[in-house]
This record gives sequence, C-alpha cells and structure tokens, in this order.
Amino acid sequence: MNTKRIVSLFASLSLVLSMSLGLTGCGDKAAQDDNQGSTDGESTKYTVGICQLVQHEALDAATQGFIDALNEALPGEVEFQTKNASGDSANCSTIVNGFVSDKVDLIMANATGALTAAAAATSDIPILGTSITAYGVALDIDDFDGTVGGNISGTSDLADLEAQANMISEWFPEAKKVALLFCSGEPNSRYQIEEVAKCLSDKGIETKEFAFTDTNDVASVTQSAADYADVVYVPTDNTAASNTEAIANILVPAGVPAICGEEGICKGCGVATLSINYYDLGVTTGKMAAKILTGEANISEMPIEFTEATPKYNPTMCETLGIEPRDGYTAIEG
Amino acid sequence: MSFLSSLMNALPGAAAQGLAWGIMAIGVYITFRILDVADLTVDGSLATGGAVCVMLIRGGFNPWLALLCAMLAGMLAGFITGLFHTRCGIPAILAGILTQLALYSINLRIMDSKANQALSVDKYPLLLSQRYVRELSLKNPLPLLLIFTVAVIAALYWFFGTEKGSSLRATGANPNMARAQGINTNSNIVLGLMLSNGLVALSGALLAQYQGSSDINMGRGAIVIGLAAVIIGEVIFGKVFMNFGLKLFAVSIGAIIYYIVLQIVLQLGLNTNDLKLITALIVAIFLAIPYWKSKMFRHKVQPQSAKNGGNGHA
Repeated sequence: MNTKRIVSLFASLSLVLSMSLGLTGCGDKAAQDDNQGSTDGESTKYTVGICQLVQHEALDAATQGFIDALNEALPGEVEFQTKNASGDSANCSTIVNGFVSDKVDLIMANATGALTAAAAATSDIPILGTSITAYGVALDIDDFDGTVGGNISGTSDLADLEAQANMISEWFPEAKKVALLFCSGEPNSRYQIEEVAKCLSDKGIETKEFAFTDTNDVASVTQSAADYADVVYVPTDNTAASNTEAIANILVPAGVPAICGEEGICKGCGVATLSINYYDLGVTTGKMAAKILTGEANISEMPIEFTEATPKYNPTMCETLGIEPRDGYTAIEG
Repeated sequence: MSFLSSLMNALPGAAAQGLAWGIMAIGVYITFRILDVADLTVDGSLATGGAVCVMLIRGGFNPWLALLCAMLAGMLAGFITGLFHTRCGIPAILAGILTQLALYSINLRIMDSKANQALSVDKYPLLLSQRYVRELSLKNPLPLLLIFTVAVIAALYWFFGTEKGSSLRATGANPNMARAQGINTNSNIVLGLMLSNGLVALSGALLAQYQGSSDINMGRGAIVIGLAAVIIGEVIFGKVFMNFGLKLFAVSIGAIIYYIVLQIVLQLGLNTNDLKLITALIVAIFLAIPYWKSKMFRHKVQPQSAKNGGNGHA
C-alpha cells in the first residue's frame, strides 16, 4: 500500500513538472518579444527590471518612453525585463522578487502599487518610480521635501493642481457648484480632488465628491454629478480614463462641461485640460536611470522630477457645448 | 546570470508568499472541503485583514495586536455572510458575493477613503517584510510564517477533534444526518465561515506587512489562489497524507507550489500580459490531473474518486 502511494506521488509530481515545463516552453518566444530594443544578451552591460501595475494607455506610454530614452542614452547596453502585474498588487511582489533575485541593476516601478512592492523588497537596488502622483503619500513619508532618499527616486505625474482649479474659474467664471468625479479605488485621485477642492473653496466655489467604485456604476454616479453641478472636474483617474465615452454620454445631453486632469480623459469627455504627456514622463525617468546606471548621479540625492504641462482644449466638445475656447490653449488633435 | 541560480535566488520570496497565502488557503479549505460551502467572502475579507492591520500599525498599535484585530474583523465578515445565509435564507454563494461587495466600501472606510495605504518597514516595527527574505537573520519572514502556519494547523487539528469541531465536520459531510443527531447546523455554518474568514484576514494582514502596503484590490481573485492551493495540495499529497493535520499542511505546500510555478513562469520571461491566462491554466491543469491519473493508472476505486478527488477527510 505504501509503495503504491509513493508511486502515485511521484507520478503526480512528474506530471506537474512536465506541465509547468510545457507551459513555460512556449514562453521563450514571448521573452524575446518582451525585451524590446535590446541586443543579444552578451553585449548588454545593464539589466533593468520594469514592473508595471496594470495594462493602461498612460502607463504603457510611460514604460515605452522609459525604454526609448534609455536605449538612446545607452544604446545596446541595457537589457529590459518588462513585467506587468495585470492589476494585482500581489503579483507586483512576485515580479519584484524575481528582479531582486536576478540582481538587476535598476528597478523601474510604474504606478503606486509597483512602487510600494519594490520599496518593500529591496533597500539596495535603485528604484525609480514613474506615474506616481505624490511620493509622500505613496511611501508614507512625513514632511516630504521632494527627495525620497535611500534607494528611491523617480518622476511624478502631478500636474499643477492649483492651475487646474484656476482653469475652472477661467473657463467658467459663473460656476457656483463643481462636482468632483473620480474612482474611490485609486489613491492618487483622492489626493488630486482634495487639493482642487481646497483651491476652489478659497474662491468661494462649492464642491461635492462623486465617487464611483468601478466601471459598472460610472454612469449613475456621473448622472448625479451632472444633476448637482455647473461644472465637473475629473482628475487623472484610470477608471475615468477607461470610461470617457460613458461620462460624455451623460454630460453632453445635460449640457455640463468637464475640466480634466489629463489629455486622454479630456479627449473623450472634457472641454479643457492641463495635460501631461506620459511618454515624456517615461523619457524623464529614463534619463534619470541612465545617470544612475553610469554612476553619474547618486539616487539618494536625486529629487523627484516633473514634466512640463501644456494647456489644451477639446475642439469638438467646445463646439457641441457652444463654448468659446480661451486664448493660450492648443487644440487636442484626433 | 543563469536561469537556475536566479531561480534558486527567487525561491525564498516565492516560498514566503506561498506560506502567507497558505494560511488563506487553509481558510478556504475549511469552507470548501469541510463545510462544503463555496464562500466568496474571502475576496473581500483578505483586503479587510490587510486594511485593519495597516491602519492600526500606522496608528501606533503593537503589530501583534493589529494581527489579532485583523483576524477578528475577518471573523465578523464571516459572521455577516453566515447570517445572510442562515437567517435570511440567501444561498451561500450569493451571501458571500454580497458580503464581498459590501466589504469594498467598508475596506475603503477602514483605509480612510484611500485605495492604497503604505506601511514602510523603515518606519514601523513590522513582524515581517519582503526586504529580509534572503537574509540569514531573525528578521527573515520565513521562520515566522512557518510558525504561524504550524500554529494555525495545530489549533485547527485540536479544534476539529473536539465535540464542537466534529459536529462542524458532520454538518459539512451530511447536514440531514447531523440535524438528526441534534446538531444545530446553522450555527455550525456560521462558526465555520467565521473561522475561515478569520484565517483569511490573518493572511491578508501578514501579506500587507510583507508587501509594505494594503491595497483595496489586494483580495481580488484570492478565491482562485485559495482553491488552487487546496487542489494542488490534494493532487500531490492526497494519497500520501491521510492525517487531517497533514492534509492542512498539504494545502499550505500547495500554495507554495502555486507561487513557485508562477515565479518560474515569470523568470522564463513569459509575456506578463498573459498572466491571468496562465494562472487559469495552472489551476485548470491541477484540477484535471486527478481525472487524467484515474484514466492512466486505472485505480480500483476509479468511478468515485474521479468524480470528487479525495473528498473523505479524516
């Protein structure tokens, strides 16, 4: 009986092993596709691990910008391991664990969940965050002064929130009530709407929060926001970015304009925005990475960097709502 | 760096993650195998455990006390599901989904309306952190996780041997018979759900410390990992581990194997956009193995064991 058990144990173990090998066997091709832009492993000098939280237009653009900038600064010298956690923060830990055991030279953490996982995993390997709105909030640092220190630095996608609040009164001087439309599941969105609300209340404009939890209740929450407000403000919010059409379909018939935190959202449902280009943001991170890899700069002394924001407006939406575009704004194409 | 040596390097991390998820999987085992109830509360209660633990530690509480509170919060979640099921007559699977849905908002409230709360090991006296997983020191999370796993298994082994525990097993095995013996099956179901979700929340609390933050989405899909661990453990050790304690241990090993397989897949450089597909395939393969084995080896007890792979628990 006992031998029988052991035999069947071995049988199942070997099955498992062959299965996982079979699974991974088909992975080798994908691996080559993954390492975009890198040359053969022998000539590369540095290995950079990229951990991105979720598949997303803006985050993808930042990752691409990062890779392009590094390939330009150190052509053929960098090998990339691009990994995506598919929206699951537990996967970030697994991915980063792989990077640390591979002893990569640098980790690029794209979005907050990836950054906290990387920060928990290592205090030696340099970590550059990208698409992080507020490092002080994401890493829980008291009295944040612009430099994280230790092995962490990076770039922030924070557009000037005060300037965004000013845009609302610039475009709509008569607005009395502003609805703040965002997803309750995203840490950065809350920070943005709180800051904007502060600026608006200084101007004597009333604000109210309208939070949706996911794609399914975007429409109904937007409806109540449109009922309440003269103008809607949408921060840089991933869920909102995926649902611009649903938002527009409610705001346009209601005749309520929206000011947005980011170009992608503005293109779908907004009137005007102070836009950050995520590709440029990735490029900025890539340039920082090049300096760290070559030893030109010490990451513990590097402050968080930003990119320039451009004021833009959505010509189709302005026409539909009968709003005259303001001076100094460029039209969003497409 | 060669693939094997980098994989060896990655093993401690995969093992630690597996051990932490293993406690969660043991919780799933209690409802899924012993109580014979599919409880989907776990997707919410895992995040509840993480949220409570992180917020209390940030508020200056002792980490051990925070773990205990997280566990109690999880038990409360299980209690609610139990009430939905037994007092309101809602089918178990739906009761779990309802609680899970409600927990999203509750977890947000716990985390001060923020979707992600950081918990830095540099700032708080955490019990465990991923940072030290490769260090040979007392700060290494592996021994602590192992102690937790053994303690949980020992406690459950003792509990399911008591009169109450036996009646709980009877409730799962044959509710009609259990009622005929004068067992209150409803209160047993509630108790089982509380026990299960308490463990799930404990696991969430450990994971939050391990990964350095609690996240509103951290429990999403947890039930799949839990079931995968239960089934992997059963497939590999089902014929060897007959003792109840060892069966629970097999679940924990199942979780470790799950994470090691995932790590191998990642190390080999598979396109991570296919991650969810691969996860589903891993689980599907392990679910299919008992069936294939029965075809290949032609056991004498084939018809029954093929239908429900290793149901009889000691």
